[in-house]
Amino acid sequence: MILAGTGSIIEFEPELDRAFHARLSYVRAEKDPLSLAEIGDAVSRKFGGEPIVAYFLSAKPDLSWQVALPSGIAYVNQYTGEILGERSRGETFLGFVRDVHMRLGGGELGGGVLKWSTVAMLFSLASGLYLWWPKKQIGIRWMSRRRGLWADLHNSVGVVSFLPLILLAATGVMLGFERQLAPVIYRATSSRPVTVTRSPVAVPQAGALAITPDQAVAIARNLVPDATPYRVQMPKYGGVYQVALSDSHGGVADDRNDVALDPYGNVVSVMKSNALTRGDRVLMVNEAIHTGSMWGVPTRVVALLATIAAIMQVLSGLAMWMYRRKIVAGSVVSLEATS
Amino acid sequence: MRKKIAILLLFVSTAVAADLSGKWSGTFRAAGADHDVPQLFILKQDGSKLSGSGGPDASEQYPIENPRVDDDKVAFEITTGEWKFRYHLKVSGPHLTGDLELTSADSRRTAKVALNKVN
Repeated sequence: MILAGTGSIIEFEPELDRAFHARLSYVRAEKDPLSLAEIGDAVSRKFGGEPIVAYFLSAKPDLSWQVALPSGIAYVNQYTGEILGERSRGETFLGFVRDVHMRLGGGELGGGVLKWSTVAMLFSLASGLYLWWPKKQIGIRWMSRRRGLWADLHNSVGVVSFLPLILLAATGVMLGFERQLAPVIYRATSSRPVTVTRSPVAVPQAGALAITPDQAVAIARNLVPDATPYRVQMPKYGGVYQVALSDSHGGVADDRNDVALDPYGNVVSVMKSNALTRGDRVLMVNEAIHTGSMWGVPTRVVALLATIAAIMQVLSGLAMWMYRRKIVAGSVVSLEATS
Repeated sequence: MRKKIAILLLFVSTAVAADLSGKWSGTFRAAGADHDVPQLFILKQDGSKLSGSGGPDASEQYPIENPRVDDDKVAFEITTGEWKFRYHLKVSGPHLTGDLELTSADSRRTAKVALNKVN
C-alpha cells in the first residue's frame, strides 16, 4: 500500500512540484535568454553578493531557470533577469513522500523493510497468477454476492495489471538490491562501470584570464555536439566548471554527458552518454522502467495506473479475506448451534 | 596565586585544543544508505578562525562556509549545488567525529561522519 501510494504520487513529481510552486516555476517564453553572467549578476546583487554555486537551465522555454546559492535556490526569469523568488533547502511534502517510498521516512530499518516488501510483492504476484490460472476469470459478475464481487474485481484488476505490476516489482527489487546485484549485471554483460579520466587541474597562472560560465557552456557544446546544457556548476564549487548536457540520442542515458573545465577553459574531463557500458545501461533501463520515464508521459501514465491497481488489489484482497473469516466464523456458530 | 592558576589554565587549554590545520580523511554514511561516501578536508586554523575546503577527494573540493570552532566542537557547511552539507563535529586528538545534515531543495537526510587526521 505504502509503496504503491507513494509511488503513484512521485510518478508525477516534477509536475506536482511545479504546480505547488507555480509562481516560481513558469515564465512567458521569449526568443533569447540572457547570458549566464547577466543572470548570475542579477541574482548575486539581489542576494547581497552571494557567490553562484550552480545554474540549472530548464528543458522547456516556459519554465524558469534556477540558480543555486549557499543560502538556497533562486528562481529567475531567464529572459528578463527578474528574480521570481527563493526556496530554502529542506524537506518538502514531495521529498517526504519520496523518502517514505525509498526508506519509510528514513533509516536503515525502513529501507530494509521496503526492499523486502518488493520481494514479497513479486511472490504475491506469482502466487496470484497461480491461483487465477485454473479458472482464468476475467470480468465482474454483478449478480454475485459481495465476496464474489470482490473476488471478481481482484481477479480482473490483477490479471489486467499483472505485467506492469510485475515490472514495477522486479525493477524495484533490482533498485533495492542494486549494490548486491550490480556486480552480477556487470559480470553478465562482460562490462565494468564507466570511468572518467580527469586531467590535472591547471595551477592558477598570474595574468591568466578566467573564462565566464557562458564560455564554459560554449566549449562544452563544441565537445558534445547537438546536446543541450542543463546544469553549470561554478569552479569555486569543486575546483572546475562542470557542464552537464542532455542529448536526443542517448536513450535512457541522454542526460549523462558531463564536461569538466578548469577556470581557464582547459578540458579536465569529458564524459559522453555513448561511452556508458552495457552494464551501466542495463541499470539505467531498470531505473527508467521503474520510474516510468522510459518513453515519457505514456509509460508514466501506465506506471501510475499500475500503482492504483496495486492499491485496489490490496483492498480487494483484504475484503475477500474478511468475508472469508466471517463465513468461517458463521459456519462455526451454526455448527455449534446444531450440535 | 590566582595569576599562576590563570596562566596554568591557559597553558593547559592551549595544550588540549587540537590544531585542526591539515588534511582529514574519512567517510560518512547517510541514514538508510548501504554505502560509505569518502570525505577529504583540507583545513587551516588560525586561532578560532577556520578556513579550507572539503569534498569526496582532492580533485573535488568545495570551500567551507560559516565555520565555527568552540573548544572541541567544530561546525561548518559546504554547498555542492544540489546539496548543502552541515557538519557538527567534535575533535578528539587525531579524530573528528559527529553528525552531518544533508539538505537539498526538497529533502533532508542525516549521516554520521568519522574523519582521521592524515598529516
